[in-house]
Amino acid sequence: MLNQAELALLKAAIRMNMIVMGIAFGLLGGSILWLGTIILLLRGGYDVGLHLSLLSVFLPGYSVTWGGAWIGLVWGFAFGGLSGAILYWSYASTLRERLASRLLNARDATNELTPPTFLMSGNALGIALGVLLALQLFLTTNWLVVRGTAGNSPNAALLGQYLPGYTVSFSGSLVGAMELFAVAFVLSHVLAAIYNFVARERTR
Amino acid sequence: MQQSTLAYARSKPDRGDLIARAAFARLDVVALAVAMGCVFALGLWFATAMLLLKDSPPGVPIGPNLALLANYLPGYSVSWIGSLLGGFYGFLIGCGFGAIVAAVWNVAHHIYLVITTTRRYFAGDL
Repeated sequence: MLNQAELALLKAAIRMNMIVMGIAFGLLGGSILWLGTIILLLRGGYDVGLHLSLLSVFLPGYSVTWGGAWIGLVWGFAFGGLSGAILYWSYASTLRERLASRLLNARDATNELTPPTFLMSGNALGIALGVLLALQLFLTTNWLVVRGTAGNSPNAALLGQYLPGYTVSFSGSLVGAMELFAVAFVLSHVLAAIYNFVARERTR
Repeated sequence: MQQSTLAYARSKPDRGDLIARAAFARLDVVALAVAMGCVFALGLWFATAMLLLKDSPPGVPIGPNLALLANYLPGYSVSWIGSLLGGFYGFLIGCGFGAIVAAVWNVAHHIYLVITTTRRYFAGDL
């Protein structure tokens, strides 16, 4: 059990790292959507970005235009940032005090400015990423259901190719969310195993 | 983070100190780039291969929507060769994402640490 000061320190650390992860994912999310839009505009052609512009269903104001690219940047930053913050919060909350044991060379670092290296927990990452992605699939699918366009969403329904049983409906979103959780959990273990292996090899 | 909380935790040799170190632990840029590269490569290869294995009726193109990725990944197609090329692109993209996330994480922590240390130095704590 952690004492009160350690608990306060842990909460403060999680809060600070949530912001940092939010900024990292926000920058990534915003720049991906901005760049994705800009590339299509530069390529030009007839009916530019017919599929990408469907994102306006979820991101009001977004379109595959020069102005829409900047609106996409803001939405991408907001959604990416929120996802990153939730991902870290969920990850760290699962590990809690065990967070401190997931470090390489924790006791060797003698200088405050040379912090140890972070090791990943496949289980905690799997739960965090799985819950996040499952929740996102559930919410986006049911947003289509609520606005009454579920029947006119053939592109969303294509997810059923990868997630058997998924349909653009409430029950389909539950099935898809569970399957996506499982996929994310497995991929998180792969990610954590490779990351930890390479990180350990590099600090030998 | 509160200075007093940090100072208290650092005075305790083990758990508090480890939590403080964990708070500022850095991500290995190369390791995260390689790991995310592998996962993205696997993901794009698998997404393409799955459509190819499911196949489609004669005359109907396989995966016309996934094939739109060719707008961003030159040469990519929903074919076995395309799946390998997609895996290669996936690796590069994943590497880029991993490196960016790790670099932003490390730089943000470094800046925070330098600011905190400088403040404590000028406050006479160090």
